[in-house]
Amino acid sequence: MPSSTSNSENAADMSKFERTLPGNAIGLSALIGLLVMIVIMSGWEMYWRSDGSIPSYRNSEGLWAIQRRRVNETEGDKTVLAGSSRMYFNLQLDVWEQESGERPIQLSLEGTSPVSLMEDLAEDPDMTGTLLVGVAGEMFFTGFEYRGGAFTRFAQETPSQWMGQQISMLVEPYLAFYQHDYSLFTVIKRQPFPRREGVFFEMDVRRLATYTKDRHARMYSKVETDPEYAEIAKEIWAQFYRPIDELSEEERAQGLENHNAQIDRAVAATKKLQERGVEVIFVRHPFEGIYDIIEPMYFPRAASWDVLIERTGALGVHWQDHEELQGFHLPESSHLAAEDADRFTQALYRLIERERAQHNTGEQE
Amino acid sequence: MLFNSLTFVVFFVLVLALHNAPLSWTTKKTNLLIASYLFYAAWNPPFVILLWISTFIDWHVAKRLFIEEAKSRRKMLLAISIIVNLGLLGYFKYGGFLLENFVAIAAAAGVEYQPPEWNIILPVGISFYTFQTMAYTLDVYLRRAEPSKSFLDFALFVTFFPQLVAGPIVRPTHLLPQFAVPRVATPKQLYWGLGLMTIGMFQKIVVADGMLAPAADAVFGAEAMLHPVDAWLGTLAFSGQIFSDFAGYSTTAIGVALTLGFGLPDNFRFPYAAIGFSDFWRRWHISLSSWLRDYLYVPLGGNRKGNLRTYANLMTTMLLGGLWHGASWTFVVWGGLHGLYLAVERWLKARVGRKAIWGRLPAQIFLALLTYFLVNITWVFFRAPDFATAWRMIVTMLTFVTDGEKVLITPHIVQVVIAIGVMLVVHWRMRERKLDEVVGRMPAWLTGVIWGVMLTLIIITQGGSDAFIYFQF
Repeated sequence: MPSSTSNSENAADMSKFERTLPGNAIGLSALIGLLVMIVIMSGWEMYWRSDGSIPSYRNSEGLWAIQRRRVNETEGDKTVLAGSSRMYFNLQLDVWEQESGERPIQLSLEGTSPVSLMEDLAEDPDMTGTLLVGVAGEMFFTGFEYRGGAFTRFAQETPSQWMGQQISMLVEPYLAFYQHDYSLFTVIKRQPFPRREGVFFEMDVRRLATYTKDRHARMYSKVETDPEYAEIAKEIWAQFYRPIDELSEEERAQGLENHNAQIDRAVAATKKLQERGVEVIFVRHPFEGIYDIIEPMYFPRAASWDVLIERTGALGVHWQDHEELQGFHLPESSHLAAEDADRFTQALYRLIERERAQHNTGEQE
Repeated sequence: MLFNSLTFVVFFVLVLALHNAPLSWTTKKTNLLIASYLFYAAWNPPFVILLWISTFIDWHVAKRLFIEEAKSRRKMLLAISIIVNLGLLGYFKYGGFLLENFVAIAAAAGVEYQPPEWNIILPVGISFYTFQTMAYTLDVYLRRAEPSKSFLDFALFVTFFPQLVAGPIVRPTHLLPQFAVPRVATPKQLYWGLGLMTIGMFQKIVVADGMLAPAADAVFGAEAMLHPVDAWLGTLAFSGQIFSDFAGYSTTAIGVALTLGFGLPDNFRFPYAAIGFSDFWRRWHISLSSWLRDYLYVPLGGNRKGNLRTYANLMTTMLLGGLWHGASWTFVVWGGLHGLYLAVERWLKARVGRKAIWGRLPAQIFLALLTYFLVNITWVFFRAPDFATAWRMIVTMLTFVTDGEKVLITPHIVQVVIAIGVMLVVHWRMRERKLDEVVGRMPAWLTGVIWGVMLTLIIITQGGSDAFIYFQF
């Protein structure tokens, strides 16, 4: 019987397990390979820096999970920000902190309805502070979750993913190319290939913000300084627009049913949070351009925002109702320019404080 | 822990440093064992217990099997090992599938039964390490080999992290003897190991995830009848994706092991240049096909019990091989098709296989393309989420009815055409060659430049740490 399972093989027999190796100077190749990589990578980094890219943390699911965990660690009594991209572009954490003395936890996710997060926080007894919810029609009243993976990441993050995020954060602030928008196949996809007839070409959202370690977002300067770049963003926002008249009866009925279901979900979550003493405040952020068409067409205020505020009994701040929340610069129609966001945040904070006092007095009466 | 993750980069550097530190061989092996458990626990720590169960049971069963002479007791010991190993595999991997089919059969019989939802997470790579550890017990039972004398070596054999979760499925006769004597990579082994890791990661991150996955996902995710161009491109994309993903893992695993001084066997040999299906299975997932041959097909009787039995054995082996890949009837059909191809090939070879014409180049190219075409038909069942999708795809691909929906955008089409074109040419040219021989004949500077470009492409692709497809098996 062969003894090859045993551990008593002699060294001479070991040759049968050895892998054959290339006959040339593979060590020299390794060195050349390393040098080639360093040279090309340096060029790639310089290219993106010359294009205006600023190194910044990546708005990853792992980074979101870190912020979400803060609620469970020691900061559940703080102000938590939920919403989609307008909530993190427009609400500047630094300014809010200056005004209130407390830095909020930023849990907004671009292209994503905050309703699932509201439900999650409603079930989390550690959440005891204030929840500020941004309401953007196409997300909130449709339940759309472009970044829904972040919720799964938080719930199921593996030790390996956690560690990977920590390592990634060590290099992110120093590398300009290390952004999804500059990854090889994202760049290839947006090259001017001839469009294929009969196929919808979905344009990916370009980089629009820079982030700090606690997801404090600020509009990427190129959006403000390069009108062509801002126009691309506007095109992207408009790419899915269809006049409501073009929808079939069935599509409209489904849309309405979904719209009502989202309000029901939000109302249920709000009630649960309120019962636990969590203050919930809804905010409608400024918009213009294509959104001046989409919002009233698909989400008329009387059937969406007003219903939400009435049914939840929560404080609601709508930008159209307050002069101090108007007149800001939105380079791509949806989000505020960085300095305007500072002024908006200050105005919003002061307005909320005022409205809050009135709202609470009204409730007591 | 995924190879294509930053966590692995740090883990690998630490393991390599420890393995090259001036420590005793036993300490180094203990380090590798601990590292392997950490590697596995990085997904889901409690599942390490499954590794411990397999290790403990098979270690003791094999020892008893070796000294036991009574046939009935030997059979009972083997049964314990098989029940524990296949029991764990069955519970975690096939429990939901069995329950689903039980409910369907009950419903067909008019019995309404609604069981609670089956929410069991599949432990990563369970099919791989189950087969690996079963090979050990089976070898001892069949008196093909003696049991290991060292528990540490055996535990490391079950758990060795480079190939733990997606193969190659290594035989005890290949790996255990290597743990017996101190091994550290020579400089040349270290560099070539790093080279293989680069090639593997390039296959996974750039080719599979970057170039091919978007087209395959778009096509197999479509709910309507597709245009035949899209259906074919999506299927070809998947053929390249599954190869680059899985061969990428195997190549990386072989590279990692080599940097530590260990030799793992090849798992792929340019399979899309295969001429016929017996050739294909000598080139595709070699460690699984040889496992199935040695521990299933041959014990079933192989080709020693007449033609009819041979065909039945082939079909049984391939159907079970299909089921090994996943708990779904689509995988069974995938295996069944391969069984059918092998049976037809055997039948044809016996009748027309000896004619000289088949040895000529045009005929060889024709047969290789025919093999690739038929393999692609099987990939439809492998990738499709259900039979409805698979059927829609097959109908479109074979009838060329052009009124279906188009879903592929131009850049994705360009990527598929380039990747598949290059892959087929490379496989054909490398059909009778070995990678290290070809690299060895290249000037060192050219190898270095290609290496550097591959490294750069890996980095700038910025892969999203997508899991390897075969992890789910």
